[in-house]
Amino acid sequence: MLIWLKHLDRVIRGEAIRPSALRSGDLEQPVGGLAVIGILLGALYGLCMGVFGLFQHSHTALLQMISTIVKVPVLFFMTLAVTFPSLYVFNALVGSRLSMLSVLRVLVISLAVMLTVLASLGPIVAFFSASTTSYPFMLLLNVLVFTIAGLLGLRYMRVTLQRLTAAVAMPVVPPLPTEFPATDQFADAVDPMATVESVRPAGPVGPLQPTVQLRQNRDVQRVFQIWMVVFGLVGGQMAWVLRPFLGNPAIHFAWLRGRESNFFEGVLQALHRLFS
Amino acid sequence: MLNYWDRLYALLARMEALLRGETLAFKAVPARRALSQLVVVIGGFGALYGGVMGSFGGVEGDRILQICYSAIKVPILLLGVFALGLPSFYVFNTLMGVREDFSKAVRALMASQAGLAILLASLAPLTLGWNITSLDYPMTILFNGAMFGLATGGGQILLRRHYRELIERDPRHLILLRIWGLQYGFVGIQLGWNLRPFIGTPGHAVSFFRADTWGNAYVFLFQMLHDMFLKK
Repeated sequence: MLIWLKHLDRVIRGEAIRPSALRSGDLEQPVGGLAVIGILLGALYGLCMGVFGLFQHSHTALLQMISTIVKVPVLFFMTLAVTFPSLYVFNALVGSRLSMLSVLRVLVISLAVMLTVLASLGPIVAFFSASTTSYPFMLLLNVLVFTIAGLLGLRYMRVTLQRLTAAVAMPVVPPLPTEFPATDQFADAVDPMATVESVRPAGPVGPLQPTVQLRQNRDVQRVFQIWMVVFGLVGGQMAWVLRPFLGNPAIHFAWLRGRESNFFEGVLQALHRLFS
Repeated sequence: MLNYWDRLYALLARMEALLRGETLAFKAVPARRALSQLVVVIGGFGALYGGVMGSFGGVEGDRILQICYSAIKVPILLLGVFALGLPSFYVFNTLMGVREDFSKAVRALMASQAGLAILLASLAPLTLGWNITSLDYPMTILFNGAMFGLATGGGQILLRRHYRELIERDPRHLILLRIWGLQYGFVGIQLGWNLRPFIGTPGHAVSFFRADTWGNAYVFLFQMLHDMFLKK
């Protein structure tokens, strides 16, 4: 377990995705342990969410807490399962040479980053859960926290994919000095889709800072942006499908609610209830 | 006994140096001891001001309880908001790539909190004077709010001074400072609301919490504004 925590530490410090670590074109970071830690972190956040029910004096509070503790990790990993195939295909379409396993690893460590951010905001959410009686407020606060965690994790993923793609695109063997200029010999070896310029930021490099500015054409960038929006939409709707997480104190407890409406209507309704 | 007083005196001398802007005042002290000393300073001076706040209703009978309660609550407020925000601050610092400076950043934040507590305590005689001469409860709330505001302003000056070195080294620290400020304000308002009453309505029974408005400060604020402007 301790070694997995050390791995997580390497991941969030950005050591696992340092350009030098990605030179082989694959993430050398084993992700099995990270997935387990991710599940635990998600469960921890679920605990913080479940505190809301405890202070509502409902007898199903404990059931709701168990339900939430299980659901938060399930939410993230099911979203991963649903969006992974499209990420692999999009990535391949834009000319990346990453294998399916590589892409899966990238997605898993990005999920680990998301769950770390989530768990770190847990104390604040637990405090508000204990001291707030307003259900729409808690709903919106949790949506905000999940959004922050999701955005940071996606940014991490984008930086990692860019660095990996750049590492694979660059010729690994430098040209031997010959009498004739060797510059043109290796021109074909470079992926024409991804011309790389190194961007060296001042100071120690953080994992959220792009170190390679891939001169990808606008379409490629658009493709990734679309995928990230898709990830967000799937995540939100998956949360709706898995509801209830907080447990509306006015309604009886249920493990899952029926299929009706959708995530965005739910958020809009909560906003409306809060501001009216 | 002598050793205890020596250490206390040394701590106060260091705090004075900190207030004067010598950001290296705690440099010689190992991190864990420095932090525990700052916690003691915040706790001690915060409790002093809290006690003075609670003395508005007088010191007879069970009003003494209000003094004790407030003396406990102000340190809880100052330290609680700090503790709640630390885990996420740690993760944000790490993700931004400035983890090596984390202990310095925390020391800077704690130092400014300690400065705030000392400033508050220095305004305690003023508050005491107000409490003796005034019977107006709403005005007293405003007055105490103004004292907190003054102390916060002083705390900000200290914070900027301590953080300047970090920001000069790496501009990312400025972003992190802003995030900290946002988080701190967000949590602080709610915790301050929950820990009411600090002054205590004179003539009413003394209680640790106000049972009726245990809830969300923002929801309450919004309802209040809504009623003020939309319900004619």
